[in-house]
Amino acid sequence: MKNTTYIALFLLILGFNSCEEVIDIDLKDAPAIVVVDAWITDQPGLQKIIISETKPYFDNNTPTGIAGASVRVFNSANEVIDFTASSQAGTYDWDPATNTDFFATIGERYSLNVTLVDGRVYTAVSQINRVPEVEEIKFTFFEEDAFQDEGYEGEFLATDLEGSGDTYWIKAYKNGQFLNKPFELNTAFDAGFSAGGNVDGVVFIQPIQSGVQELDEELATVLYQPGDSLYVEILSITNEAFYFLEQVKIQTQRDGGFGEIFAAPFENVTTNINSDSTEEQVAGFFNVSSVSGKGMKLE
Amino acid sequence: MKRQILLICFIFTSIFAVGQVKRTVSGYIKDAQNGETLIGATILVKGTTTGTTSNVYGFYSLSLEEGEYELDYRYIGFTTISKTVMFDQNQTITVELSSDAEQLDEVIVTSTEDFDVQGVQMSTEKLQISTIKKIPALFGEVDVLKSIQLLPGVSSVGEGTSGFNVRGGGVGQNLVLLDDAPVYNSSHLFGFFSVFNPDAVKDVKLIKGGIPANYGGRLSSILDVRLKEGNAKELEVSGGIGTVFSRLAVQGPIKKDKSSFIIAGRRSYIDILAKPFTGDASLYFYDLTTKINYNINENNRLYLSGYFGRDVFKFDERQGFDWGSTTTTLRWNHLFSDRLFSNTSFFISKYDYGFSFGDNDLDKFDWKSRILTYTVKPTFDYYVNANNELTFGGEAIYYGFRPAESIGVSDGISTDISLDDKFALENALYIDNKQKIGDKITLRYGVRWSAFQYYGPGNKYEYQDTEPGERKTVTSITEVGPRESIQSYSNFEPRASISYSLDDKSSIKASYTRTNQYVHLISNTAASTPIDVWTPSTNNIKPQQGDQYAFGYFNNRIGERGLEFSSEVYYRNTKNQVEYVNGADLLINELIEGDLISGIGRAYGLELSLKKNTGKVNGWVSYTLSKSELLTDGINDDEWYAARFDQLHNLTVFGNYDFNDRSSLSANFTYVTGAPVTAPTSRFEQQGYVIPFDYYDSRNGLKTPATHRLDLSFTRKLRRVKNGEKRKNMDELVISVYNVYARKNPFSIFFAQEQGRPIITESPNTQATQFSIIGSFVPSISYNFNF
Repeated sequence: MKNTTYIALFLLILGFNSCEEVIDIDLKDAPAIVVVDAWITDQPGLQKIIISETKPYFDNNTPTGIAGASVRVFNSANEVIDFTASSQAGTYDWDPATNTDFFATIGERYSLNVTLVDGRVYTAVSQINRVPEVEEIKFTFFEEDAFQDEGYEGEFLATDLEGSGDTYWIKAYKNGQFLNKPFELNTAFDAGFSAGGNVDGVVFIQPIQSGVQELDEELATVLYQPGDSLYVEILSITNEAFYFLEQVKIQTQRDGGFGEIFAAPFENVTTNINSDSTEEQVAGFFNVSSVSGKGMKLE
Repeated sequence: MKRQILLICFIFTSIFAVGQVKRTVSGYIKDAQNGETLIGATILVKGTTTGTTSNVYGFYSLSLEEGEYELDYRYIGFTTISKTVMFDQNQTITVELSSDAEQLDEVIVTSTEDFDVQGVQMSTEKLQISTIKKIPALFGEVDVLKSIQLLPGVSSVGEGTSGFNVRGGGVGQNLVLLDDAPVYNSSHLFGFFSVFNPDAVKDVKLIKGGIPANYGGRLSSILDVRLKEGNAKELEVSGGIGTVFSRLAVQGPIKKDKSSFIIAGRRSYIDILAKPFTGDASLYFYDLTTKINYNINENNRLYLSGYFGRDVFKFDERQGFDWGSTTTTLRWNHLFSDRLFSNTSFFISKYDYGFSFGDNDLDKFDWKSRILTYTVKPTFDYYVNANNELTFGGEAIYYGFRPAESIGVSDGISTDISLDDKFALENALYIDNKQKIGDKITLRYGVRWSAFQYYGPGNKYEYQDTEPGERKTVTSITEVGPRESIQSYSNFEPRASISYSLDDKSSIKASYTRTNQYVHLISNTAASTPIDVWTPSTNNIKPQQGDQYAFGYFNNRIGERGLEFSSEVYYRNTKNQVEYVNGADLLINELIEGDLISGIGRAYGLELSLKKNTGKVNGWVSYTLSKSELLTDGINDDEWYAARFDQLHNLTVFGNYDFNDRSSLSANFTYVTGAPVTAPTSRFEQQGYVIPFDYYDSRNGLKTPATHRLDLSFTRKLRRVKNGEKRKNMDELVISVYNVYARKNPFSIFFAQEQGRPIITESPNTQATQFSIIGSFVPSISYNFNF
């Protein structure tokens, strides 16, 4: 539910007429840097790693992939899997069917090595962590009110694993489509929002459980209707990745409106990718997840 | 030879002076109309600069050698009273001055000049409530905080922001006092209005520099708001009906010359009008300000005042967000003698907010946070002689911080995710002397000793430094028992001011102020908001410290046209400014100290102001040229960067024209350089999300377009005569237009991917968007009455 729309509504009644304008700004020119997009899981199906470059902020073309790189992931025993170049420049993939055990051990540490044609090397480490089962998908009926039509609110039920420090990315799919808006990004530290929340080993707190609704253009909740399906995936992520996604949320959940009053200023998100040259900047993230999931169709 | 004679004469006279018997005249200065005491009224021996001013309780004391003197009692906007007083015995003289706004054109000696040109206090802005009422305001609602933002050196980062900034300082660096009690959040409705009800406010004083030793605890400024005591002469009802809220104030005597009261309330009612459209959702605020005083006898007087206000914002019946402050002040004035005045204040102040989410009791999330303080503050004013006024006293503040009291219930399973309360004590002792040396020089010098103790029960966290600018990792957590100290600090804060009169209309002044701040307002948003959290200094968060130097030239009458000119330059450097690591998590975070880093700051500027207090056309022009910068390890490549509230130019022109005794027109124009924001240079994608990226990792390198605005208001006093008879009640209509030429002033510029469902196979479009809180002109009409 988008609460700032209420603020907007009230201030509108008050006679305010807040406004937003897309503006032209001259931004500084900057050199492109290498971007590594490496979020892989223990799931069957092609795993992908994308190596590309940053672009000027207002350039809306698809990122330029960097072809010809060697992209490899090692486990702690130094076994290696090779991500091979796909038909799309910069996209490298690997078929888990070739080594089904590679991501099978919880707690195993992995390192990523990306070597470009010109010899530049980028490395990163991650770890595959445990993930709780999605126990149940529930739908609760809501009557129509001033802000939304009648429908069902989707919810998942899961219990954080005992022992503090687990971090998760919860992905929701409505009718098979990943809810991929920045505002639909849903993460958890143990069963709560952040570290030190004292919510270890319990059911995920309410806003996380119900953070699986589709949001429309105005970011209002689109409730589930009979016939819709909801599939919820929990991905274990490293604490570092959790903080990275928290930063991604801060930087991407910008819809303007009165939410701006509460918005944090723009700043760079972190990266866990290292460049072999200390001078060179690099962006992106490497994370390995184990995944659990459950779905249900609302009849 | 001549010189030696003079010297001998001088020594002789001074010995003679010591031998002279001194007599003291003391008393109160009041407004004849309603018996309210007047703060800062002056008492001068006619034709000299010898004199004093009334203190914040309207009390004055003047000791002179035995003899006959003619004393002038004056106060800005009031008729000066001259009295011939025999200083042959100690005596009490209480004087009532009268003002009559409707006799502006009559030839009476009305004091117009601010005695401040001759006083030692500099960097101080006073606003009469009568002036504040003339300033065109949003929705025609007179507002104290919005008005002080029109003064030199004071600004805010935009409409819809809580609080204000003084001389390049943060919102949390202002000590906002309501009858002595600190107000931890001074805004209603996200900053559109302030908590001060103009019907109940008597006096507003903002001290930007040269802060006297009796004030402390914040780096930037002191906003001292004092409430009316309530009409001591007759029952008075006043109020107003406006577009957003209505006000009602009742005041009057309880027992003649003994006791009076005031009670003033406000309630916004837009939610009631909007109800048919919004159902259970609503947004409103209300507040109640009240004060009662009791004159026990000549030497003892009690005041009890309180403020209670709340903003409520409900999404529906169960879910919402609310916040508000409560303050209670009990004060006891006691006269030990006609030269030793004391006041002991005890006050409680609380600010809290709460969120509730969830549709039912089985699935909900409640979160509350608050700061609660208890303070006792004894102060003494000792009128040593006509040349020395000594102020001394102390202050002890108990702090209870509750960062988060939070319970989440999921499927009936409830989890307490509250954070531990934090406790602290802040103590201070101070002594301050105002000394006149000859006719030309006045000094004020003092020292404040402040101490802070952060104590248990609680946890002591120790952190390991990582890379500068990155989150620190906790290395140990030690449990600390009740009353056991976790960390303590103490500091001496020297304060000094000097004023030198060039002639009786002009002076130069200089001051030095050191201040320490032990509690910090944690906010990483572009502007301050109601959910900002106050947090104490700990072993990881050091107290902020500031040194400010100011120099000024003041001239009261340029060309005898009733103009007041002031100019000041200031330089302030600060240390231990709170900054935040990238991606800082400031809410419900036990390890918040790991996300806070510190930097140093510098702010400097020039402030010019030209005022015309009287005549058919009155008003002021104020201009500030300033810079406010921070330097923090790991931020902006370790280079200085502009603070969020850095504003190079800030110009305000306020004018009021009285057509006749019933109609007046006011206009206000402001121009402020755009606010610094951080902009990306590039973009990249992760898992389909477009993330902005700044190759140079800079901070606040881009400026938003400038903010400027014109507001107008027209006041028409309604007929005073009805059927040939004079009406007792007075009423007026105020028509105002805010943002006359509908300027879309930027609140922020943000960089984000377009709204709308991103298509999996395509890159989302990115854009820069400027957000303006008010994008059009806002007309309003309100009706005010008084009877």
